[in-house]
Amino acid sequence: MNAIEIKGLTKNFGNKQALKGLDMTVPMGAIYGFIGENGSGKSTTEKLICGLLVPSGGSIKLFGRDYTDADVRAKVGVLIEAPGCFPNCTVWNNMMLQAANLSIPNAKEEVRKALKVVRMEGSASNKYKNCSLGMKQRIGIAMALLGHPSLLVLDEPINGLDADGMRIMREVLVDITRSYQCTVVISSHILGELEKIATHYGIVRGGKMIKEMTAAELDADCRTYVALRTRDMSRTKALLTFKYSRVEEDESGYLRVYDAKAPEDIVTYLYENGILVNEIKTAKVGLEEYYIDLMNEKEVR
Amino acid sequence: MEKMGEIKIEHISFGKKLKSMLSVDFRRMFTTPLFYILVGIAVVIPILVLVMTTTVGGSTSVDPTTGVETVAEIEPITNTWQVVESISGESAGMSSGIMSMCNINLLFFMAAVFVCIFVSDDFRSGYAKNLFAVRSKKADYVISKSLVGCVSGAFMILAYFIGAVIGGAIAGLSFDAGAAGIGGIIMCLLSKIFLMAVFVSIFVLMSVVGKQKLWLSMIGSFAVGLLLFMMVPSLTPLNSTIMNVILCLAGGALFSVGLGAVSNIVLRKTSLV
Repeated sequence: MNAIEIKGLTKNFGNKQALKGLDMTVPMGAIYGFIGENGSGKSTTEKLICGLLVPSGGSIKLFGRDYTDADVRAKVGVLIEAPGCFPNCTVWNNMMLQAANLSIPNAKEEVRKALKVVRMEGSASNKYKNCSLGMKQRIGIAMALLGHPSLLVLDEPINGLDADGMRIMREVLVDITRSYQCTVVISSHILGELEKIATHYGIVRGGKMIKEMTAAELDADCRTYVALRTRDMSRTKALLTFKYSRVEEDESGYLRVYDAKAPEDIVTYLYENGILVNEIKTAKVGLEEYYIDLMNEKEVR
Repeated sequence: MEKMGEIKIEHISFGKKLKSMLSVDFRRMFTTPLFYILVGIAVVIPILVLVMTTTVGGSTSVDPTTGVETVAEIEPITNTWQVVESISGESAGMSSGIMSMCNINLLFFMAAVFVCIFVSDDFRSGYAKNLFAVRSKKADYVISKSLVGCVSGAFMILAYFIGAVIGGAIAGLSFDAGAAGIGGIIMCLLSKIFLMAVFVSIFVLMSVVGKQKLWLSMIGSFAVGLLLFMMVPSLTPLNSTIMNVILCLAGGALFSVGLGAVSNIVLRKTSLV
């Protein structure tokens, strides 16, 4: 059974169609990286899954049941945009309010546990309004974890965080999937971070799902390339462009040859033309580049 | 409990959900400063009205062209209960001027302020997102908010009554209930408490329509509330009887059910963020 199954989902905001028949399948236990540019429909889809918006058409099933089913909805934890907390209340009181909403019997113990998972146990007495952005996001996740959800929907939880905040958040998310064993749908623009934790991906564009795949499929799909450095980069580029169809210079000053079969062929070819290779390595394109390539491909079409 | 694959989906009864929602809302009501501020205002208003109207004789103005002095007399309050309500068929003791706005019926608008801010806070803080993501049925939310609104209104009415007694004692006014009797005053207060349910159901509806837009909820509540406001003195006179109480109770129940159902539909059919 799938945790989420969406078919032909549409959502109109007045004359604007935000979702145009989106299909989405999230298997149970997956960490589903939900990717797309701004305005592609990620947040709208997540809000629809959480019942915060009313769909214009299509169907949403959570654990095989309609998403409006009251019992199944009690198994969903949510962090959409910012956590819903009262700014003048302490972190602890905000958590206790949510625990009471969920009728959690041993609320204090559960709140303590959730705060520990997100490394916030020492900040429970802080007022919510005095917490940093990273802390607020973690409080939001702790709130979403109350009641042991089977599905966690997180909308951009790492955006706006500094490097340390991102590292803590990544550790927290990995811990959650281990200790709570729930399905996680996580949308983010920071694909490098997402790549480290996601087991499945869904790429959305213009309100439609353009690709869904597992991390293994992505890995297989991602092309390998040869990256090299020489003393005369401009001549090297000219020579390689003559022989290979796609040669690009990357941000770190390497020349990337995408359609080379073996690095030794390049070394030999350049040597024959009087250029010595200083450095050469093979690598795979990451999720970010894969995503950009996919977007460009679709644009060309 | 139903087991679906590896997911255990537990059925939570409506009663349990309502109980949890009520416990949260009442906890919030008793911890929010707004509630105590409004109850405080409800105590202070009758004290100020009774003390001021009995100590200040009126205002004198002089016509600059003729030099003639005119004294604008405030109709004196002779009985403490005049500040609560007038006896049906009789005009209120302070029927004219701004003071006429300061009797107990003012509390219906103070309840509007409380309900609108209370509900709007849910949407503005994002708390509603947490709530509705785990609750697909909205009836418990509407019932809970309506009950909290009614209880807060009842507290304000009682606070006003206490304020009136204190104010009357300070001003040395008579506590003679006259034709109304003590029973009439109690019935009058009870009628007002039950009538509060009518107003609160309107305020809750306006608040769920306005959601984050507090100004919209307030304007809507005041506008619709004003339409019904005129009938309050005739429905809940100082010499109320059990019939007035029953009428107000029935009206409160009818409005709560009817407008509660409309609020529920609004929440189900509109975006919550």
